[in-house]
Amino acid sequence: MTAARGAGWVRLAAVARKEWLQTLRDRRIVFMLVVAPLVQTVLFGYAVDFQVDQVPAAVVDGDRTPESRLHLRRLLADGTLRRAAAFESGAAALAAMDRGEVALALVLRPGFGEDLLAGRTARVQAVLDGTDPNRATVAGAAASRYFGERAAELAASRAGVEPPLRLVPRIFYNPSLRTPPYMIPGVLAMLLVVVTTIVTAMGLARERESGTLEQVLVTPVAPMELLAGKMTPFLVLGLFDVLLVLTVGTLLFDLPLRGSLPVLGAGTLLYLLTTLGIGLLISTASRTQQQAFLGGFLFVLPAVLLAGVVTPISSMPRALQLVTWLDPLRYYAELSRAVLQKGAGAAELWPQLLELAAFGIAIFGAAAARFRRELG
Amino acid sequence: MNGRLSRFATRVGAMSFKEALHVRRDPRTLYMALVMPVVMLLLFGYGVSFDVDHLPLAVADGDRSESSRALVRAFTASGEFDRVAEVDPARADDLFRRSRAAAVLVIPWGHARRLAAGRPAAVELLVDGSDGTTANQVLAKADAIVRAEGRRLGPAPASAPPLEVQVLTRYNPAGRSAVYLVPGLAAYLLAIAAVLLTALTVAGEWERGSMEQLFASPVGRLEIILGKLLPYLAIGLVQLLLVLAVGAAVFEVPIAGSLWLVFALGLLFLVGMLGQGLFISVVTRNQLVATQAGALSSLLPSMLLSGMLFPIENMPAPLQALSRVIPARYLVHGLRGAMLKGNGLAVLWPDLASLALFAVVIVALATARFRRRLA
Repeated sequence: MTAARGAGWVRLAAVARKEWLQTLRDRRIVFMLVVAPLVQTVLFGYAVDFQVDQVPAAVVDGDRTPESRLHLRRLLADGTLRRAAAFESGAAALAAMDRGEVALALVLRPGFGEDLLAGRTARVQAVLDGTDPNRATVAGAAASRYFGERAAELAASRAGVEPPLRLVPRIFYNPSLRTPPYMIPGVLAMLLVVVTTIVTAMGLARERESGTLEQVLVTPVAPMELLAGKMTPFLVLGLFDVLLVLTVGTLLFDLPLRGSLPVLGAGTLLYLLTTLGIGLLISTASRTQQQAFLGGFLFVLPAVLLAGVVTPISSMPRALQLVTWLDPLRYYAELSRAVLQKGAGAAELWPQLLELAAFGIAIFGAAAARFRRELG
Repeated sequence: MNGRLSRFATRVGAMSFKEALHVRRDPRTLYMALVMPVVMLLLFGYGVSFDVDHLPLAVADGDRSESSRALVRAFTASGEFDRVAEVDPARADDLFRRSRAAAVLVIPWGHARRLAAGRPAAVELLVDGSDGTTANQVLAKADAIVRAEGRRLGPAPASAPPLEVQVLTRYNPAGRSAVYLVPGLAAYLLAIAAVLLTALTVAGEWERGSMEQLFASPVGRLEIILGKLLPYLAIGLVQLLLVLAVGAAVFEVPIAGSLWLVFALGLLFLVGMLGQGLFISVVTRNQLVATQAGALSSLLPSMLLSGMLFPIENMPAPLQALSRVIPARYLVHGLRGAMLKGNGLAVLWPDLASLALFAVVIVALATARFRRRLA
């Protein structure tokens, strides 16, 4: 019995070694498994910025009084808006908006300063480019807030009272609200699923195309040993990718590492079990590499979208929010964000770990059973 | 001369026919090429929105007075916040770690008394800053609610407000995300499908060894490239039609400008993307590597550097420079201009010209790198 088990380990190790060599020998695959994660982390870290600032604004100052200049300067000084151009007429500003040069036009009519000094209502017009609703909301809010605050100040000074209520915000974890610390844990979830699911699915489909799976079956290697041996290199590469992303994240983007790394490691292993299992399932359902690849994509794209990596889950419609409960990426993204940013550990994250474990065991188990039936 | 041209056309046609047969024999590919974009469009259109409401708000009410309850009601009555728990402010961290609350409203003891005495009352808002988008919205919404509540409590306002801002929104006055996203998504979905489908074809011929048979035939390099391109171009145009039709039917995305211009932009973009796929395929000669390279070179740039989701002008200068060689950038800009703003050729010709330039260069590169030699 022990001898048989010992021989099993030897065969498993032999398969793992062969897979490891085969993967590493193809420089291009190694390039893809190592360089692609790097490129993605850097791109996502630098290109994705949810903070809307420096919105290009056109100024049409028809008043040209000290008051109009003062308010335009102070409004454009807070960083949300940027003075991109000044026009003589509103029509010229709207034409610039048509060409996409400005996203906001501030129009002050003649008489603005005089109205303000005389105590009449001074009116400002803000015209927004609504194509990007997010940017339009933030730019519109910046203009409304500035003039609202000035109006409240002026009203208070005229009536001689202070505003009765005041809100004092205190922001936890990420006080300057930078995007990379939020984005990079999401990139991790996305990257692992792209690398492991699609590479596994295509790798096995390729063996089926070339008929080498059958050849291995003639040898004493059992299907389960073959499977475990094939999965090992990807597990190792997946963990390596996690370290790589964390290193780049801390060096380039000041990604905090506040929580328990063992919890992150355990979560990663359970998550990899799921993504490898899905790759395996897809490969058993497809005959060619092209089908395996498209199948992988059909899973990966919606899974990434529903994981809340790019946009918050809480902004999705209710029905879609329910679907996200079925998305393993969601739990891994939550887990890595909570560990890295919020310093959470097993005490807070046991639900996510449990869910990842359930997905991992169920999916990998089903995939392994199919694989065995197919070869057996 | 005429004879040569007609022989050229015959051979390109034969290659296309062969490629179309491949696609037809494997209906799964076609199914996925046409069903995936629609599924993605529906998911993105319904799922992607940065506008958050019903934010989970925990309350730490140290005052327990009529005034403090009125303030909490002002938060929940708007629909922007849902009250999820009553907590001790010291435990806010624990709630955030479990993602149970996005913010904690702390009303200190003596709130009602200060208000009654006419002194300013400060309330604290603890915000989970880990998700910057949500945190920004929490801050903006809480600010507006407290300001409105302050006005309600304050003295009766003077007859006329001293300053008033009037906000007008053009092109997409309702601020619907789908209207913004569909033109961007068209670029994203076309790029993925076009690059990836063609990335596999030439690499597949090399792997299966059928490339040698092609070499034995009189078909030339450019003829092989063009022949492989045409059937996928047809699929791509059908995809574009599908995306536009679903966008118009489901999300009421307008086409304010010329439909011909939209298709011209789409056609040039598709040729460029198909050329990029072929180029990758010709260089790698391996399906696995070709797909990874294809995904990396089409999916990421078309999503991140095209301005589809994130404004290009906010990126660091090197990435802005890089985005200039990404065709998706010009398609996204062109489609938004033509569909939402009703721009014509006068505004959009630089986009058309850039897309055409990319298409010509990449097809020429693919042809040049394609050697009629065995490895």
